[in-house]
Amino acid sequence: MAKIEYDVIVIGGGPSGLSAAHRIVDLAIENKSKLKVAVFDKGRRFGAHSMSGAVSNPRSIKKLFPDYETNGFPIEGVCSESYVTFMGKQSSWNIPSIFSPPDFNKKGYLILSQSNVAKWMASHLKEKVKTLDYRNTVVDLYRGFTASEIIYENGAVVGVKVDNTGEPERDNCYAKITVFADKGFLSQELIAKNDLANSSQTWAVGTKEIWKVEKDYSGKVWHTLGYPLLDGTFGGGFIYGLSGNRLAIGMVSGLDSKNPNIQPPQVLQNLKKHPMLQKMIAGGTVLSYAAAVIPEAGYYAVPKEFAVDGAVIVGDALGVMDIKGFSGMDKAMESGITAGETIFEALQKGDSSTKLLGAFKEKLMNGWVGKELKEARYFRHAFGVHKELLSSYIPSFVGNLDSFGPYIGGLVTILASPQAIPTAISAKKMMDGKADIGEISLKDDRTASDPAYKPEPLSEPAGYDKKSIYSTADVVFYANTHYHDGNEHIEEFDSETCSECIEKYGINNNPPPCVGDCTAEVHEVAEKDGGKRHHMNLENCVQCRTCELVCPEKNLKVNGAYHGSGPDFAGM
Amino acid sequence: MVFIKQVPDTKSKAGVNPDGTIDRARAKRMLNPFDRFALQKAIELKKENGAEVTCVTMGPPKAQEILIDAFDYGADYGILLTDKRLAASDTLATAYALSALAKYVGGVDIMITGLQTTDGDTAQVGPQIAERHNVPQITYCESMKVDNGKVIARRVVEGGHQKLESTLPVLITMANSAAPLAPKRFAEVAAVKEFLHHPEEREKRVKSVNLDDIGADASKAGLVGSPTVVGKTWKLGELGGSCVMYQGRSALDEVNELAEQLQKDDRGIGELING
Ligand SMILES: Cc1cc2nc3c(=O)[nH]c(=O)nc-3n(C[C@H](O)[C@H](O)[C@H](O)COP(=O)(O)OP(=O)(O)OC[C@H]3O[C@@H](n4cnc5c(N)ncnc54)[C@H](O)[C@@H]3O)c2cc1C
Ligand code: SF4
Ligand code: SF4
Repeated sequence: MAKIEYDVIVIGGGPSGLSAAHRIVDLAIENKSKLKVAVFDKGRRFGAHSMSGAVSNPRSIKKLFPDYETNGFPIEGVCSESYVTFMGKQSSWNIPSIFSPPDFNKKGYLILSQSNVAKWMASHLKEKVKTLDYRNTVVDLYRGFTASEIIYENGAVVGVKVDNTGEPERDNCYAKITVFADKGFLSQELIAKNDLANSSQTWAVGTKEIWKVEKDYSGKVWHTLGYPLLDGTFGGGFIYGLSGNRLAIGMVSGLDSKNPNIQPPQVLQNLKKHPMLQKMIAGGTVLSYAAAVIPEAGYYAVPKEFAVDGAVIVGDALGVMDIKGFSGMDKAMESGITAGETIFEALQKGDSSTKLLGAFKEKLMNGWVGKELKEARYFRHAFGVHKELLSSYIPSFVGNLDSFGPYIGGLVTILASPQAIPTAISAKKMMDGKADIGEISLKDDRTASDPAYKPEPLSEPAGYDKKSIYSTADVVFYANTHYHDGNEHIEEFDSETCSECIEKYGINNNPPPCVGDCTAEVHEVAEKDGGKRHHMNLENCVQCRTCELVCPEKNLKVNGAYHGSGPDFAGM
Repeated sequence: MVFIKQVPDTKSKAGVNPDGTIDRARAKRMLNPFDRFALQKAIELKKENGAEVTCVTMGPPKAQEILIDAFDYGADYGILLTDKRLAASDTLATAYALSALAKYVGGVDIMITGLQTTDGDTAQVGPQIAERHNVPQITYCESMKVDNGKVIARRVVEGGHQKLESTLPVLITMANSAAPLAPKRFAEVAAVKEFLHHPEEREKRVKSVNLDDIGADASKAGLVGSPTVVGKTWKLGELGGSCVMYQGRSALDEVNELAEQLQKDDRGIGELING
């Protein structure tokens, strides 16, 4: 059988990978050059494993599809009202625009379903080449096919092994240039092998439900802080009004939490218990659930190089998400577009070494992506330096907001802890990038959880409708997850290590972090052979990789599901 | 030769009219799940005996999709029989048209069908094709192999299994307890994509024919060739109900809880679930 070969293969059909493919194909068509491109995605269809909020600046979409408003690009709405809302346990306060962070004013931005966008971008890519002569431009889309291993030749990337049940050699796919748009599944190995990491990447986990509701909220956007994250964990909620009386409701929590038992799906349920949300979803029904992680470290955690010989890295795999403006999708796309241009040039010149591909980093970081990342470089760090913001001031304001309203409540908070003001000023300076403290290095999220952590019971808002709140086991049903027989996609390296970890966390009745932070009730501690053992219900897994990131012992590896297994995040 | 059919996707609600009938033009389509077992068997024979696998289907031009899909799994050729005069064929007319197609292709050693379809549910078409060809048939086949020009098969019968031997040619309908369809292999799919890019190659492997091409008698096909009369159709009602989850510490706790609930007020499972 002949070797399967392309000019470019893209691993991952999310916004970053598909933007790279589109740009390359556009340039090939423009220049009438002969080119073979393939895009791989492990989802059963494009978009099945890609989810987001998402509210996005249309700048990169416009660049790729100048006629996006009329060409069928899937838009769920345009933001007409944008609020940053402080949540008490009972009350809520829309922060007046003069006090609220300008980056969170999303008026005029698009409200999107990233899963739908990926699906559309994939089919539109096929559409572009449909009428062309097959001898020139070829685009092959492989859905349900997972790149399972990187193939190197003399240190250079020459392709990937497809599907870990595949036959070696026969099921390999070779390429002059491989684009890693895989959110880290394989590219983390590339980064480690080539020693490209600057600092550890740190992550947040996001969960989201879409609801069909009685009232029309289309175009309205809320970003929330305060309740229900009162334990010092970084994060917040989002509520986006979609067309067709639908609401996207989500929660994002930083994985650098001391709490080993975040229970991301339950944090989202807690948000839904708030009277403001209860009013919105009354009489509605849940349509779908999804979860994914977000690289939030930003500027100092992007790799030293964005390319190696034969390969480039884009999107969340690179870590160009900017948590300050909650803008990842547009930056992922821009990184794909920019990489696409560099790749096309390299192919024209017949050189796929870092000599040409290396220029991608400079081009991206000198543009608006780099500029915005730089500005936000200390944003996330500020919460680490000023821990009291999250652990003390915000929770105390939550209580005072309920009792006294925003202004008096604010005053009471400040009077109780006058140092809140200088802290806030200094934190704000860092967040805006105005302070300069030089390069920072971040610690792995896996080092953050405290086995001795004692959770304070979260007092719940009163009077919520129990039927609108789900157990994790129930909500996972809405991720439409399906696994084919024999899918063993998570590796646990050593079971003894797990037993020790279970014991260590168990002393204070905490679950081990893999159990406490899983978004789909996959991990559990089971009584077996007279002891407590780590056990996995893999058929639930939504492929978010949270467990791998929080395992303190580096004892887990989440591999891409294969044969099209895993969740279906349609519409998410 | 594998006989396959595109049926409405049972997981999708698209195209289901309020009265429960199906608008076939709007419905999402999929490969009849029963046919997956037939295709798997054919692919196995290809690997074990070097067979050449031709998939045939009857339907609108769009039904070509399932032939292409079958290539991804390892089939070699695909033939679509498409003709407006085939509309509303019952099993007699369908089996007539399909057997005419098989005769037109010629030289078939083993014909394989699924047990039945999810939209017709008759399980009649396979056996009728065998009768029209005057060849032996092995229905409800669970496994089989070809040895010395003979077929040795194991079929499901009431209360057990039956082992059979047959000469070729033969028609086999595969039971749904047979080996499930193995996942698509990358190398196979890549090769299919490659030949699909080449129109001349494509024409060699996928063909579309009509009743005249295969020399079939149009009066025996379609509505005119179908003696079946549909008296009446009616909607059976909605499937559904709600689900009660019991989450205890152990399976025993869960079972106890369930038993307790069932005993309470002497309710049955149906009442418990439906409130
Ligand atoms: C809850 C949440 C809310 C967010 N909200 C916003 C928002 O409002 N605005 C905003 O701008 N950004 C938002 N983001 C961030 C944004 O979604 C990401 O930055 C963006 O998805 C990155 O795109 P990507 O293409 O890099 O990765 P992804 O979209 O994750 O795509 C990666 C793809 O690669 C595939 N893949 C991975 N490994 C393999 C493999 N080995 N083989 C084959 N395929 C593979 C996966 O199946 C997946 O489809 C949010 C993120 C989350 C999680
Ligand atoms: S997988 Fe990691 S977190 Fe989970 S029990 Fe094992 S060592 Fe602990
Ligand atoms: S097992 Fe790991 S990857 Fe799977 S859903 Fe749970 S946290 Fe995510």
